[in-house]
Parts: sequence; structure tokens; C-alpha cells
Amino acid sequence: MSTRDLVLAALFAAIIVALGLLPPISLGFIPVPITAQSLGVMMAGVVLGGRRGAIAVLIVLVLVAISLPVLSGGRGGLAVFAAPTAGFLVGWIFAAFVTGYLSERMVNSQQSGLVQTVSFFLAAMIGGIIVLYAFGIAYLATAAGMGFSKAFVGSLAFIPGDVVKAFVAALVGRAVMVGYPQLPVRA
Amino acid sequence: MQSLYVEGNSLMHRLSPRAKLLSLAAFGIVLFIGDNIALLSMAMLLTAVVYRAVGLPLADALGRLRSIFLTIAVVALFNLIFNSWHEALVTLLRLTALMLLAATVTATTTIAEFIDEITALARPLERTGWVQADDIGLAVGLVLRFVPDILGRYQAIREAHTARGLKVRPTTLLAPLIILTLRDADNIAAAIDARGIRRHVS
Amino acid sequence: MRGADLDIRFEGAGVSFGARAALEPLTLSLGGNRIGIIGLNGSGKTTFARLINGLTKPTVGRVTVNGRDTGDEKTAGADVGFIFQSPQNQIILPIVKDDIAFGLKRRGFTKAEIEAKVDGVLARFGAQALAERRAHELSGGELQVAALCSVLATGPSILILDEPTNQLDIRNRALVEKIIDGLEESAIIITHDLELIAGFERVLLFHEGQLAADAPAAEAIARYKEIAA
Repeated sequence: MSTRDLVLAALFAAIIVALGLLPPISLGFIPVPITAQSLGVMMAGVVLGGRRGAIAVLIVLVLVAISLPVLSGGRGGLAVFAAPTAGFLVGWIFAAFVTGYLSERMVNSQQSGLVQTVSFFLAAMIGGIIVLYAFGIAYLATAAGMGFSKAFVGSLAFIPGDVVKAFVAALVGRAVMVGYPQLPVRA
Repeated sequence: MQSLYVEGNSLMHRLSPRAKLLSLAAFGIVLFIGDNIALLSMAMLLTAVVYRAVGLPLADALGRLRSIFLTIAVVALFNLIFNSWHEALVTLLRLTALMLLAATVTATTTIAEFIDEITALARPLERTGWVQADDIGLAVGLVLRFVPDILGRYQAIREAHTARGLKVRPTTLLAPLIILTLRDADNIAAAIDARGIRRHVS
Repeated sequence: MRGADLDIRFEGAGVSFGARAALEPLTLSLGGNRIGIIGLNGSGKTTFARLINGLTKPTVGRVTVNGRDTGDEKTAGADVGFIFQSPQNQIILPIVKDDIAFGLKRRGFTKAEIEAKVDGVLARFGAQALAERRAHELSGGELQVAALCSVLATGPSILILDEPTNQLDIRNRALVEKIIDGLEESAIIITHDLELIAGFERVLLFHEGQLAADAPAAEAIARYKEIAA
């Protein structure tokens, strides 16, 4: 991996960590403040693409594993991976990867702003919700013995919030693409 | 940023990081074999004792695990309602024991030890060309180095919004935050390469 | 107090990006131990400097430093330290002494030797107080001193400084100027801050990718002012 790609991934990991340290953000059109860390994961894919986005998230998980309390709420350490929700955590890597992979392939600079934003939104939904929840629910169902249907139903409540985050990620993704066109799109 | 490491001299403190990680992995596997309540109870008690021995004040020790334990309790509750009390108890004991041992390993191993351990584990993989083991320590260092700068940048952007009477929007807050941060990547990478840090010295 | 003379040779070396020539092919030798480089932004001066430490490879011709070709991946830049403009983007670990030590990893030194080298380079600049400090708390000048320590810890004989005082205030600028003045290593300094190189015997002036002057400071600066007018 080139040094520049490593640095890009590490800097984005730092952004994800910073977002976890900040209080929930109130964003104009949304009535409830949003905890931005999982939003950060979607943005990693949208902005950096599949490979670098996944590496950025992987770096964050390494930080958690080595005892740094970087997850929002000051959580960290290996115990976090022992929780029933650990699937969602590990799933972050794949969520970022799929979001990024789809972004790289669906979006280009020739399209209109609307098409770009909608494409990023789809990528963020597929990666950040479908793929992520697949991992989260699978672990919840097996290791926590909840069974797939219960695990699925139990997770439904969080989906609306994540749809909003996917939308925000799409807006930001497009804004970054416009504001920083020199960012190499593919690793 | 404070790590979760706790200074001390308990049994777990004195074990090598590798031994602890291997034990944790092995313990994790064993916990999921069989569902004997008596054995699981003993496992949980054991891990509780070991965790207590780390030396954290009780409030802190419990505080660290609160949110995790909450999810375990919810899952156990689900099991109680939809399956049997037996399954609920098994899940509760199993996951709690795992959580306690994991928390103990975290509290008795320093960041440097973890990084050395992960780097050593990644070293054999260098042959595949997929990863340079030393990049792990570098990546961790880079994150810790630049998080404060990013937080500062965030505050500056927020202040600029306030000063101009603007409402905070994702495109005017998060996008500039990301752009300004990533723009430094080229310079940082050049400095790293100029120092020959990632040159594979054989 | 000055170290050995420079031995840098450009043999028809130039750099083009597609149709655009960042630096036209150039043949010259650098000797002595203080060289100044001036020119407008985009004149090719930074490209020239980055050819010396191998950060940029020539698209035509070649460059040798102390007899070694900079195109050779293994050894390129080993003898050449590079200080960049932006103070905060050179320290890459949170604590200064860890950053200095990081550059010494995997070179066969023991832990004790590394510690000694870190202490040694900090002491050289009277900067021991910076050792335990966190990078994000330091001023621009302190960061440049820390960067100097990190770069010099590995013992390069040549130091290139790319507009080292550009982002510093007056006090920090004076500090860095004093340090540069006292450096034992050979130094090549790119700068807009003409006072830094005013006493140099040899200053190269670049303009639009070509060498416009190669003369003692006064003459080169005069020519620069003509061009820039």
C-alpha cells in the first residue's frame, strides 16, 4: 500500500475517532442530534473508496482492541468484542468496504449532482445497512443464541436512524467530491 | 487519551501478552462448547475474581462494562421470553464470563505490548505482500497524533458558523472537516517517505 | 565545524508530467556545504530539491548523491534529510521523543542505543524539554526543531530545507535561522525568506522550470528581483 493511502486511511480513522469523542451533532434539518461515529464509517467508504475505507475502519477497531476508549461513549478494550453486538462492530469493516466499492463504481464526475448524491445514498444504504446488519444479526442470532427472526426484529428499530445517516453520508460524500477533486478515487 | 490499562501486579499482569490473548481465545471457544450451568457458573466466578484482582475501584470496574452488560442482559431477556430459562442463563453466564476475561486482558496489558504483539503476529504475513507489519504501529501512532488536530479543526469550523450566524449543516461542517484533514495526507506521506520509515530494511 | 562537502551531480536530469516540464533537463554539480535555492512558486525549485533525496525520480537523465544514483530504491535518500514547510505534518507520533525514535526502528539498534541517539539529538539543539511534549501543543518553531531532531537522528550528511520558515512567526523564524546557521551538516535551503541565504556563496535561481542564475547570493537575488518584477 502506498504511503499516501496508508496516511489517508489513518487520517480518516482519526476522523471516526474524533466523531466518537464529540457530543451528538445537531444537523439543521434533523430534529434529533445524531451520534456521528457510525456515520463516519459510511463516509469512509463514500470518500475513500472500498479498500481504503475498510482499512480506516480496521484501524479504528485495532485501536479499540489495544485498549483505547475510542468508541462513542468512551468504550473500548477487548470486552467490546465479547458483547452480543460485536457483529455490528466487525461488520463495520465490510460495510465500509461495500459502500466504498459501490461508490467507486457507481459515481463519476460526469454525472449530475443529483445522480451522484442518489448513488452515494444507495451505496451507503447497501453497505451501511444491509451488509452491516447482516453481520450484526448473524452474530446476534448465533453467539447470543437469539435466533435469526428475533435478532432481525430486535434490530429493526435502529434502521430509520441509519437511513438518515446514509442520506447525510451521501450529501457529505458529494460535497467532498466537489470540494476536493484531486483526491484519488481509487486506491 | 487515557488507555484502559491499569497498573498493578496481579496474576494476569504478570502473564505475557501472548499467553493472555491465547487464553482468551481458547476460553472463548471452550465457553461455547456444551451448556452445563454449573461449569459456566464456575467460569463466570473465576473471571469475576480475576477481574476484581486487577485493582480497579469497584465503581470504575463496573462502569467500564455497564453498556456491554446491558446488551447481554437484553439478549438474555429475549432468551427468557422466547426460549427457556435454561438457555437464558447459559447465554448470560457465557457472555458475561467472556466479557470479564476480555476486560481483564485489556486492563492488564499496555498499548505498547498490544502493538508489539499484533506486529509480531503480522510479521509472517509480510511474505504475502499484503501487509507490512510495522505499518500497524505507524497507523496507530498517526491516529493518536492527529485526533487532537481534527478536534481543533472541528471547533474552528463550528466557531466560524457561529460567527457568521450560519446553521450547522453536514455539508458545511463535516465536508470541510474531511477535506481539510485529508489534504494534509500528501505532505504527511512525503515526510514519512523522506525519512525512509516505510522502506523495508532487510 | 562544517561537515564534508556536497557531492551531488545532475546529469541531464529533468522531470516532466505528461507534456508539462516541471524541470527542464539540467547538468550541474553541487559542492561546498551551503547552497541556496530561490525562485517563484512553480519555478521548479522544489522539484529540483526532491530529485536530490529521491522523493521525485527524474523522467530523463539521472542524479547521483555521494556517488549513488537516486533512482535506486534501496539507497535513495538515505544520506539526505528533508525538512518540509508545514511544521505540523512532519511529526507523526503523538509524543516528540517517540517520533524521533520511530525513525530509528529496524536499523539494528538496541533499545538503549535508540534512547541514547534520541537524547543526543535533542541535546544538540538544547531541546530536551520537547522530549515528552505532545506535538499538537507545540508552536510552529518548536515543531520544526522537533522535525529537525527526527530527521537528523538517523545521521544524514546532507539536509534539504524546503521553505523552513514560511509558516513561522518572527520569533520562531529567528530560532530556526539560528539553528540552520549552526548546522554541521551540509545544507541546501529553498526559501522565499532571502535573508536566510543572503550570505551564501552559491545560490541557484529557478524560473519556469529552468536554471536562471547560478551565482553568489547578491547576484542571484538581484536577478531574482529582475525576473519577479
